[in-house]
Amino acid sequence: MKKNDVILVVALALLSLAVFGGIKLYSGFSTREPEAVIYLDGEEKGRYSLSHNITLEIRQDHGAYNIFEIKNGKAKITEASCPDKVCVNHRPVSGQGESLVCLPNRVVVEIENGEKLDIDAETN
Amino acid sequence: MKNGESLKKIYRVIILLAGVLILGSFSLIQLQKNNLKQYQGQFFDCFDTVTAITGYAGSQEDFSQKMELLRQKLMHYHQLYDIYHTYEGINNIKSINDAAGKNPVKVDKEIIELLKIGKEMYEKTDGKLQIVYGSVLSLWHEYRERGMENPKQAQLPPKEELIRRAGHTDIGKLILNEQASTVYLADEEMSLDVGSIGKGYAVQRLAEYAREIGMEHVLISVGGNVCAVGTKADQTPWLVGVENPDLDSSEPYVCVIELANQSAVTSGDYQRYYEVDHTRYCHIIDPDTNMPPEYFSSVTVKTDDSGMADALSTSLFNMEYEAGRTLVEGLPGVEAMWIGKDGEIRCSSGFEYNEKK
Repeated sequence: MKKNDVILVVALALLSLAVFGGIKLYSGFSTREPEAVIYLDGEEKGRYSLSHNITLEIRQDHGAYNIFEIKNGKAKITEASCPDKVCVNHRPVSGQGESLVCLPNRVVVEIENGEKLDIDAETN
Repeated sequence: MKNGESLKKIYRVIILLAGVLILGSFSLIQLQKNNLKQYQGQFFDCFDTVTAITGYAGSQEDFSQKMELLRQKLMHYHQLYDIYHTYEGINNIKSINDAAGKNPVKVDKEIIELLKIGKEMYEKTDGKLQIVYGSVLSLWHEYRERGMENPKQAQLPPKEELIRRAGHTDIGKLILNEQASTVYLADEEMSLDVGSIGKGYAVQRLAEYAREIGMEHVLISVGGNVCAVGTKADQTPWLVGVENPDLDSSEPYVCVIELANQSAVTSGDYQRYYEVDHTRYCHIIDPDTNMPPEYFSSVTVKTDDSGMADALSTSLFNMEYEAGRTLVEGLPGVEAMWIGKDGEIRCSSGFEYNEKK
């Protein structure tokens, strides 16, 4: 192999690395900021960035309500009219795909673009 | 020198091809990854809880189709084991309860199977798993719902009434006729409540069904009743966090366990409960005292069969540690972890977990 060949090999290797790295970098850049998406009866009602503290009431016509809060980058339901309070007895969420669910009130809060979790499920 | 020149050219071509190959293989890897992607889906209409499915498919559409099949299957069990509602054309647990003291009811063999397991587990656990405990559980249910609606006036069920109702929980009066496929409750005040085993049994059947429809790597969670079909697609085990019973803690789970073709089920006092005079009363009731047990914050059971895991987690929650430990060590392939009210963690001899990093 001549000197030029070596240069070619090195150049090709660098090029492929650059392309590969570029793909990785691009997919890294394209992720959006984490947000909590509120669904009522399966229908999207709003999205709220986890980077701003907020408290709001999800009120329904028949008087059912859930108080939703974003604090320090985490979403939580702090109060609810439901009989079982399972949604209130749930720790704040911020991880990708995590959710807060109030079955009686048909309210679901789901985290999108959240930090990747290191578990696949939770037993509780 | 002409020969040398053309040799050099060949070299160049070879090197160029090698370069293209390297590049190509990188993009191929990317493509292949996209070929079988991991998807997650949820549904909310079975067993009064959230069902989450994590699996692999070629496309979202493909995955959604499989999800719908799983939902229908789980719904079938939800209706069979429901104690509150009747469904057209189905004799379910409520049908049996409604006919208590009157007549046997012809039911699907999956109800008979479930009740047989319930009877077996009653023996194995010295009555800590009680499926004909509906009369007592329904009283607690009533007081809990009322207490949560109006926390200031929350009350405990009267002792005398609990004791009176506990008199109608004789499992010997649950009469199964396998040949005729009928169930009869020989005491009109007795009722079935399969809340401690129905979901686990259904999840096990659902896992088998997932395999039948070609899903070899799936993680099913029905309200924290977690069952792993196979491993993940990359052959590594599924990672399942055991939730920290202390909801105010910044640590969401106390440890991580690995599952492959196994189930993990947890019974705890921190999700469903009500308070009377600042004391917490959870939804699990000890058949020996007719009161919520106060031994642990949660108990997690890991074993091959989801139905067994479900039944045992409730039983162990109702037992003192020593008795529970003896029971677990005597059952092959069953492991458990107890978390005390003070956060103390104790495990059976073969319980393996990863410390939270």
